[in-house]
Amino acid sequence: MSSNDGQTSRRDFLATTLALAPLAVTVVGQTAAQSINGEQLPSSSPAPDHPSVPDYRPSYFTSAEWAFINAACARIIPADEHGPGAVELGVPQYIDRQMGTPWADGGIWYMQGPFFAGAPEFGYQSQLTPKQQYRMGIKAIDTLCHERLNMPFVALTAAQQDDVLKQIEKGSLTSTELPLSTFFSGFLLRNVMEGYFGDPMYGGNKDMAAWKMIGYPGVRADYLEWVGQAKPYPYGPVSIYGKRG
Amino acid sequence: MSRPARNRWLIAGLGLIAAATVVVSAVVYHVPDPAISPALTHRTPDATRGEYIAVLGDCAFCHTETAGPSYAGGRAFSTPLGTIYSSNITPDRDTGIGAYTLADFVRVMRLGVKPDGTRLYPAMPYTAYAKVADEDLQDLFAYVQSDIAPLPVASRATHIPWPLSIRWPLALWNAAFHDDSRFVTDGSKDSQWNRGAYLVQGLAHCGTCHTPRGIFFEEKDLRGRSNLYLSGSGLDATSPINLRGNSGDGLGRWSTADIATLLKSGRSEHSAVTGTMADAVRHSTQYMTDQDVTSIAIYVKSLSPAPEHGRASFVASDSTMSTIMAGSERSPGGRIYLDSCAACHRLSGSGENSTFPTLAGNPSVLSSDPSSLIGVILEGGRVPSTAAAPSGLAMPGFGWRYSDADIAALATFTRSSWGNNAPPVTAAKVAGIRDQLRSGRPDH
Repeated sequence: MSSNDGQTSRRDFLATTLALAPLAVTVVGQTAAQSINGEQLPSSSPAPDHPSVPDYRPSYFTSAEWAFINAACARIIPADEHGPGAVELGVPQYIDRQMGTPWADGGIWYMQGPFFAGAPEFGYQSQLTPKQQYRMGIKAIDTLCHERLNMPFVALTAAQQDDVLKQIEKGSLTSTELPLSTFFSGFLLRNVMEGYFGDPMYGGNKDMAAWKMIGYPGVRADYLEWVGQAKPYPYGPVSIYGKRG
Repeated sequence: MSRPARNRWLIAGLGLIAAATVVVSAVVYHVPDPAISPALTHRTPDATRGEYIAVLGDCAFCHTETAGPSYAGGRAFSTPLGTIYSSNITPDRDTGIGAYTLADFVRVMRLGVKPDGTRLYPAMPYTAYAKVADEDLQDLFAYVQSDIAPLPVASRATHIPWPLSIRWPLALWNAAFHDDSRFVTDGSKDSQWNRGAYLVQGLAHCGTCHTPRGIFFEEKDLRGRSNLYLSGSGLDATSPINLRGNSGDGLGRWSTADIATLLKSGRSEHSAVTGTMADAVRHSTQYMTDQDVTSIAIYVKSLSPAPEHGRASFVASDSTMSTIMAGSERSPGGRIYLDSCAACHRLSGSGENSTFPTLAGNPSVLSSDPSSLIGVILEGGRVPSTAAAPSGLAMPGFGWRYSDADIAALATFTRSSWGNNAPPVTAAKVAGIRDQLRSGRPDH
């Protein structure tokens, strides 16, 4: 850049800034007025309370996809001696409900091109929305299972399902339709963990069972008085809606 | 009864009615004399000093609609009779008070009577402003007339149904309850105490909210003659606290500096203000001189305790904290406190200095009428941002999270823990406050 260019752009910058200054004052003025006049408090109530229900019917997933989600959840966090599994805690419901949020359509992301296969540190680069990831990912996995074992994922034994999922996670099993490791690690596994450990108001973590399993006391936010106590925290968990587990 | 006897009674009755009509008419149609000292005509008013008088009187808050132009009126006040709106007090000649003379201004400030004889509702605290000295009113008038921009904003009509909307009975109300005498200096007290008493009883009109009212909505004491003065009240869905020397629900354990700090910054070691008092701090008390807030604090600290009967007590105790720490807190209110309140107000109920109010021994928690406590739990509150303490800290509301019974249990727990000893709160009381807050919202 020549020094002349530098001069021009500095002048442009100053001109633009000066033009915008009154606007900035107006906006700042309004913000101040809103916070100073009266008791305008930020709303503190969260999204509606939708805990898991026994007879849930999926609204996004087809019945075949719903069977896949349930089977995959049961293998990713199975019920064992440590605690309940993802299916028992309503995680499939959680994932289906997430498909109805703006997130599922990529509505909270920048979704314009260009679309490059960037390095992981650049974050999610695909043009596929989460909904598309699930629709295409489940179809691709079932196609792979048909090709190799001649049956859908849900019909495999637990050991075979584990093997398929592990290979997808490692990247040794993938599809030409989409990178399956991204679907698995970036969506399926992540959403299963969210549903399992998230607040019960979103449909998973029924009765805070996952929190009780790990001894997490929920949303009390502060435990300063217990620092230095040589005994376990004595109270069970509490949820965002104030319920106790 | 014989006929002559009956006639005598009839005549006596008619005579009484006629006499009463004459007396009532004399009271009702009389436009009273504002009684200004003749010496004022030789005094040069000081508008700059008048601006500070306006701050002391907190004129701007009531006479400015939320986000509206200053002093143009329009702020809504709900009263037991209905909604009334503050008037335009800019010097616009048609819609404001630009055509007022000093006598007109003083008459409305002290007697609540407009130049045309219309009576104001005592929501305008002329019952307090009557105490204000001639010179202060003259300077205030000079400020309003010369330094405020005239704005043509017509006053909004009141929403009071007929026949309650008829205003002449206010003359009778004034005759019965208004004390229009000036403040009288108490020679047995020093000048700072007297300055404090003058401000509290007059311009700062503390009694408007903090003095209990009788069945005719009259303040039970307008000039600090009894120990009911500033002893706490109930107003809309709030319960302004007892400012007298009681050690439970009053300011008995506060120092003069604590009170002055609260007025300057909106918070103190013990407490913080929200709601209407936050507005008073935001628009008025934070701008008072250090000397004036200290004078107010000295006067308030001199007030003897209100009658103790039925009032809360406080004797610090750590048994609540030990029960919680032992893992044996089982009461519904105690568990809610642990889940939703302790992160800020701490298990000890002692909060954090000047940040999260102390609940142990807090007059708002211990108030005979728990309305303000319930209101803050339901809807939260915001501490005003002041020059002395700019952070406008807020508490979120918990009305969405808990039922009336839950909130009653929680309020009862806070009123009976850490040494607090105040009567329990019922779910019905919480339901009432919830309704009042909901119907008081502008979108309703």
